[in-house]
Amino acid sequence: MFYKILGAWLYFSLCSLAVAQESFEVKGSVINAGTLEPIEGVNIIGKGLFAISSANGEFTIRNVAEGIHSFTISHLGHSSKTVTVKVGPEMEEVKVLLVESATNLEEVAVYGKTTSRKAQELPTASHQVYKDFLEENRENSLMQTLKKIPGVSTITIGSGQSKPIIRGLGFNRVAVVQNGIKHEAQQWGSDHGLEIDQYGIENMQIIKGPASLLYGSDAIAGVVDIQPSAIPKPNSFVGDLNLLGESNNNLLGLSTGIVSRKDKWFYRARLTFRDYGDYKVPTDRINYENYIFELHHNHLRNTAGEEANAAFSVGYVADHIKSETFFSNVYAKNGFFANAHGLEVRNSNIDYDRSSRDIDLPHHVVNHFKVTNTTTIAKGKHSLQFDIGFQNNYREEHSEPVPHGHMPKPEESKERQFNKNTYSINIRDAFNPDQRNDIVIGMNAELQQNTIGGWGFLIPGYHRFTLGIFAYDQIELNPNLHLQAGVRYDYGLLDTKSHYDWFRTPVDNPDGTTSQVFLQRAQDKTLAFGNFSASTGLSFIQNNTTFKINLGKSFRMPLANELASDGVNYHMYRFERGNLDLDAEESYQMDIDIDHTTERFSIGISPFINLFDNFIYLNPTSNYYEALQIYEYTQSKVFRTGGEIRASTRLFKNLQLDASGEFVYSRQTSGAKKGFTLPFSPPLSGFFSARYQFNKLLFFDAPQLIADYRITAAQKEIVPPEEKTEGYRVMHLSFMGKIPMFKENIPVGIRLKINNVFNTEYFDHTSFYRLIDVPEAGRNISLSITVPF
Amino acid sequence: MKLISKYFYPLFLIVLITACSSDAGLDKDDEKPTIGINHNGGFPQACEILQKGETYTFKAQVTDNQALASYSLNIHHNFDHHTHDDQGAQCDLEAVKQAVNPMIFMENYDIANGGTTYEINIELTIPKDIDSGNYHCSYSVTDETGWQSRTSVDIKIVE
Repeated sequence: MFYKILGAWLYFSLCSLAVAQESFEVKGSVINAGTLEPIEGVNIIGKGLFAISSANGEFTIRNVAEGIHSFTISHLGHSSKTVTVKVGPEMEEVKVLLVESATNLEEVAVYGKTTSRKAQELPTASHQVYKDFLEENRENSLMQTLKKIPGVSTITIGSGQSKPIIRGLGFNRVAVVQNGIKHEAQQWGSDHGLEIDQYGIENMQIIKGPASLLYGSDAIAGVVDIQPSAIPKPNSFVGDLNLLGESNNNLLGLSTGIVSRKDKWFYRARLTFRDYGDYKVPTDRINYENYIFELHHNHLRNTAGEEANAAFSVGYVADHIKSETFFSNVYAKNGFFANAHGLEVRNSNIDYDRSSRDIDLPHHVVNHFKVTNTTTIAKGKHSLQFDIGFQNNYREEHSEPVPHGHMPKPEESKERQFNKNTYSINIRDAFNPDQRNDIVIGMNAELQQNTIGGWGFLIPGYHRFTLGIFAYDQIELNPNLHLQAGVRYDYGLLDTKSHYDWFRTPVDNPDGTTSQVFLQRAQDKTLAFGNFSASTGLSFIQNNTTFKINLGKSFRMPLANELASDGVNYHMYRFERGNLDLDAEESYQMDIDIDHTTERFSIGISPFINLFDNFIYLNPTSNYYEALQIYEYTQSKVFRTGGEIRASTRLFKNLQLDASGEFVYSRQTSGAKKGFTLPFSPPLSGFFSARYQFNKLLFFDAPQLIADYRITAAQKEIVPPEEKTEGYRVMHLSFMGKIPMFKENIPVGIRLKINNVFNTEYFDHTSFYRLIDVPEAGRNISLSITVPF
Repeated sequence: MKLISKYFYPLFLIVLITACSSDAGLDKDDEKPTIGINHNGGFPQACEILQKGETYTFKAQVTDNQALASYSLNIHHNFDHHTHDDQGAQCDLEAVKQAVNPMIFMENYDIANGGTTYEINIELTIPKDIDSGNYHCSYSVTDETGWQSRTSVDIKIVE
């Protein structure tokens, strides 16, 4: 079993490159003796040497000392062969012919599955993202990069931060998982993004749909699963350096990483720095209600930022065991638009326009430290996986202190401070009792401790403990028909901490007198939640067509602020009132996915229907508290439907066309806002992309020109306090190529990209600054250079 | 033909499913109420000077397409120049100073029978013992749906 896993791991690590440090290279190819077709994925193993053949059957083994070496060439489904090669200067290419074997056919069926085949057999609608996609589409933040995927949109906050929305739901309804551990930041907040370094990520899986079964609470709308990178090949050393410059916000970015492996030990390290100025919008004045903000040289003042990330991991791989420990720290400081923070219009004596690169008030500072370990042990038919993690998320929000209501002017600028520690442990056992069943049983436990500080109040301090157990089975009914079914039970305990104002408020007593009291903003409460989730689905593969249907029930535990807050949010001019009677959110969803892929073209459609019994929603009421509108957390029934369509074709040899569309319809079917949609509903949107592959252009190898065009309809479906947003059309162009500068086999990668080619002024309905009528960023020319070493 | 049935049958099914989800919100209220002090009698006007001890009637006009619900008046100091109004006028501001005993007025009122137009009328005596200087006066109104509109005006309170 372990060799299967290792084989599979290595099989999928084809994209990494190894570099010769000395000595010689053995080059060769493997072909089928019967059909003379090349064979992909063949293991070529020598003493301390290893290679796998590529799609055209070729392989290269670097770092081979001079002398005679013997290699075992094996591929399941073919008889193994041992060849002896004399390695030295001017050696010839090795040609190996493998004969098909009729035995071990069952083994082939299991071993030979590619990731795409496995994804086909899985009944849930998922989208796999690879390193190439991330490199080709790299934007300023991870979620902006993923926006191209139909069904995925983002809440962007300025130019450097964003958070995921999957089919119209975001915040705590999308779980982000990195190396098996759920990323725990301040997901509920609207003005900060994911604290994850987008460089160094090789594989991601996006699950569009409820996934509580595997990921627990919060995965109610979907999952962004950042998977561990492939284990490097033995005796390899790979590195890269990426430089990035952007014209719109004058960004300078640098990211460098190395990956190395001796025999059993391997390590990876990466450093990323980014520094950017205020971003530019295609307008010189913002009209927000009756306010007018003049912009200096189109700069959205004080939106500059900086980011510094470091990551290191060390791993061990041997027979039956694989273990990797990851350390990472992500630091960011970002400014917020100076003229209006939230809805609150601000005057200041700060000379924001003296520099477009400085970060004045308001701003925040975020630091996310994480250490996690993933260990897999293979024993017989079982594969045990342990994920253990600790994360600390620290965030400070600073703004110019001003008096508000009865609050006098605070002494310092630190308005809010959040310090959240999360301890996680996941254990799972995957085993195959027979060839037909893939059974997984597991548990997740997580402890969160959140403390707060600063003179503002939004979310109380809390302790939260969650424990979930689950089991599911993927059954092969026949080679083309797979059934997956699973159940899960979760138990959660939330202990909110009381919070009192630091200033006194006059309160009228029944006897006519007035007392000056420290008002209580959050209560000391312990609440318990228990919930069953379940999921069942079928996948049917018929030639080139895959049909999937999945039914799932997911849940989400209410957050501390949804339950226990009772405070003013001056930036939004509202009073937010929690509700201790909230139940855990429950959602039922049916997903269908139909995909037809041939060599010439591919077409797919993935509709869904979703019902929430008790969607938690911050409802704007018509009442006031201290002259601020009261917003209450309430629950309502919600009906949602929609989906994505996609099509792509290779029109002729060098031209690839892709098109996709996404649509979400949401309705609250009960409660105070019956008939209304949900907040942050993404509008109907279509995306078209044409990619032309040149054979050779100037000194570029494999040059490509890509034109992307997005057409988004108007969003007229809104809920108070949102604004309707007009539709838009925006075009991006990019050119990519490789220059064989230093060494033939590891070329330098160049990407020149122009975002918003026509400097179109448009509004994104789900952008944080949409509320104050700030358009999206103007034209941006970016140049990225990747130098491998 | 085979191709058509192969691709368009599922497509058709989807269209059918989405079409069946009837629009429950056809007559939902998408309009915010309006609020303004630019009608005859609107008070205070931009840069208005108010005297301590005097009684004034604060007046604003509010309307809504369906039903008005509540309104509020908030008067707070702007001694630090932290904000400005939305009336477009540029008032002379006094020098920045520290607050000692500023006037704080925050009151909420219901509009009893809803209705689509209403004139806010708040009688208010400016206390004598408060700090004089720049103040900011903001009105807000909600309708029954929960839409809100706000307007604000810079004023000055003197001895």
